[in-house]
Amino acid sequence: MTELKPTGPKRKKKSDYQNVTGYLFISPFLLGFFLLTLYPILYSLYLSFTDYDLMSEPNWIGLDNYVRMFTGDETFWQSFKVTLMYAGVAVPFRLIFALLVALALNKVVEMAGLYRTLLYLPSVVGGSIAVSIMWRQLFGNDGAFNSILALLGIPTHSWLGDPKTAIWTLIVLYGWQFGSSMLIFLAGLRNIPKTYYEASSVDGASPIKQFFIITLPLLTPVILFNMIMQIIQGFMAFTPSFVVTNGGPVNSTLLYVLYMYRRAFEYFDMGYASAMAWFMLIIIAVLTGLIFKTSKHWVHYESDSK
Amino acid sequence: MRWKPKVMKTMALGLVLTTFLAGCSSSTGSSSDSKDGKTKDGKVELRMTWWGSQSRHDQTQEIIKKFEEENPDIKITSEFTGFDGYFEKMAAQAAGNNLPDIMQQNFGEYLNQYADKNLLADLSEYVEDGTINVDGVSDIIMDSGKQGDKILGIPTGTNALTAFYNVDMLKEVGVENLDGNWSWDEYVDIATKVHEKTGEFGTRLMEPKNLFEYYLREKGQKLFNEDGTALGYKDDKLLSDYFELNKKMVDAGVAPGYDTIQQIKGVEDELIVHGKAPFDFRWSNQATALDSASEQELAMTLLPGDNNREGMFLKPAMLWSVSENSKHKEEAARFIDFFTNNIEVYEIGGSDRGVPIKEEIRNEMASTLSDTDKKVFDYIEMVTDNSSPIDSNYPQQASEVLGALQEVDELVMYGQLSPKDGAKEFRKKAESILGR
Repeated sequence: MTELKPTGPKRKKKSDYQNVTGYLFISPFLLGFFLLTLYPILYSLYLSFTDYDLMSEPNWIGLDNYVRMFTGDETFWQSFKVTLMYAGVAVPFRLIFALLVALALNKVVEMAGLYRTLLYLPSVVGGSIAVSIMWRQLFGNDGAFNSILALLGIPTHSWLGDPKTAIWTLIVLYGWQFGSSMLIFLAGLRNIPKTYYEASSVDGASPIKQFFIITLPLLTPVILFNMIMQIIQGFMAFTPSFVVTNGGPVNSTLLYVLYMYRRAFEYFDMGYASAMAWFMLIIIAVLTGLIFKTSKHWVHYESDSK
Repeated sequence: MRWKPKVMKTMALGLVLTTFLAGCSSSTGSSSDSKDGKTKDGKVELRMTWWGSQSRHDQTQEIIKKFEEENPDIKITSEFTGFDGYFEKMAAQAAGNNLPDIMQQNFGEYLNQYADKNLLADLSEYVEDGTINVDGVSDIIMDSGKQGDKILGIPTGTNALTAFYNVDMLKEVGVENLDGNWSWDEYVDIATKVHEKTGEFGTRLMEPKNLFEYYLREKGQKLFNEDGTALGYKDDKLLSDYFELNKKMVDAGVAPGYDTIQQIKGVEDELIVHGKAPFDFRWSNQATALDSASEQELAMTLLPGDNNREGMFLKPAMLWSVSENSKHKEEAARFIDFFTNNIEVYEIGGSDRGVPIKEEIRNEMASTLSDTDKKVFDYIEMVTDNSSPIDSNYPQQASEVLGALQEVDELVMYGQLSPKDGAKEFRKKAESILGR
């Protein structure tokens, strides 16, 4: 260190200049981050302790919103329950489906690109309003789904009108948009060295055994990634329940974010909605943390075993 | 550690630079909405919003074109949506202090909400100096847009709840022309007969948001108390009777349950339009939409009840309001004056925004009315003679209370709550909302 001292100041100046250029170049991003991300996030935290109604000045009311949320609002718990059920069923459903399709596609050699595109398509138009409207038509009383049932002589059903089945149509919709997880699985599958399979077939392992002993363990990092992304997405789902069922019947499809939206913009209850948003943030953080914690036990990284 | 101030310095520099750039682009980008809200060629630019159906959007744009022709110094840019989402959008604009100059406003909870937050301009001075000419408009009508002594909205027209019925379907069970003197029992009786005779539904399930209030009024009660701090009726039996009335018909297949109702998206989709139910209770200005979508012969009469004179009321279909933050209130007032006083407006729009509030316009239109508009005009006249004043004691949280009523109604119709428990549940919910 000491022998560098004489040249120090000069060098420092140069790197100083380089740093300035660097910071200058990232400053638009930093500015965007502070103004459009960090500031709104912190402001919403502040709002969650106020009675802000979008139009008049917010008043500090302490923990009232949180107290009301946990003790005085049945609809809040209903929406929370629906969302847990939605994410809890739809996410595994989508992941398993995506994995199965990825496995099948991995075997296809001819026109693989075309199949991949076709299967990815539902996810491209995924969250859009158009798909949700189509879903509403498909499962409506006079919709295509009932028409097919009628043709087969199976009794038709009011899928969207029955509180027991409405949420399932949304879950199927979620599963159907499996494209992006499927592509990631596919990339993971391609990464598994062929030699493993060759060696194991020499030893006489069946394809099913190969799947459980080679494919699945080596795929666990990808599964972890997909799982976390999908859980976050599942909790934040809004469009399907907003467009297909509008939360009904009898709040059986009232997803958390839809209820939050209603509180904020329909009932001018932005303070409360902010509190809801923060509760959701904590729930997602805890869930993600838990999954990471357990991942030690089931996620295998190749580098670990070496 | 040492680099910290440096980072701050460079970041501050970057900040200044980017804000400068951003500043440049925004000042060039919004040339049309510069300091005084004028366009490049010196016209005053007004923003205007409304909700409605496609036919209303087309009509309103035609009306705006007429207005711009007669007022070359004003240019109007319009934003419109369906009713769903309209007030959510307005709430966001209000939060950003960016409400449009002219907005379609709704009587009741919405007007009260905006009024309490001082978001709407007082139009009194423009009415007094004649910029908005309301000569000959009845006080009852004008009162609906008032809060205290401020005029916050000018009604676009008059409206009333209506029992729409299918003439041919009623004839099948021997009922000719309803004259508005009918009890709830008679209504249920006719509906049941139609259902038995035709196999179709005998009526449409009533929407609690509008109809429970009518049901209460007809029994001499109010939905909210005088100062809007609690429910206006004491006896839960009223609501449980209301639920019972509907539930019985749903269970018997006379009225559809929510599984059918939920499929209906928009007025053009209604059962009555397709001849699948003879009755539908809704606002009179929707006659245009119903008639144009339907091939059935539809007639209009007062809602059932022994006391429907007490129950029925005239309501402003909707109001035109000017926002407090508008820089061009006078020009906005000129548009409202044009809308209320120019016969051409009604030749384009008919009774879609209610029956004109000015008698001279009603008379002038009389000779050229379409069949539907004639029906609506006659009906409003009938209600005018058979009604009592509207209840305007809606509290700010009214839309949430009505939302809770809708929720409970669904629970009861799905059979998850008994009518009695539903009535109790609604009181509990309403009290917790109003007590907040």
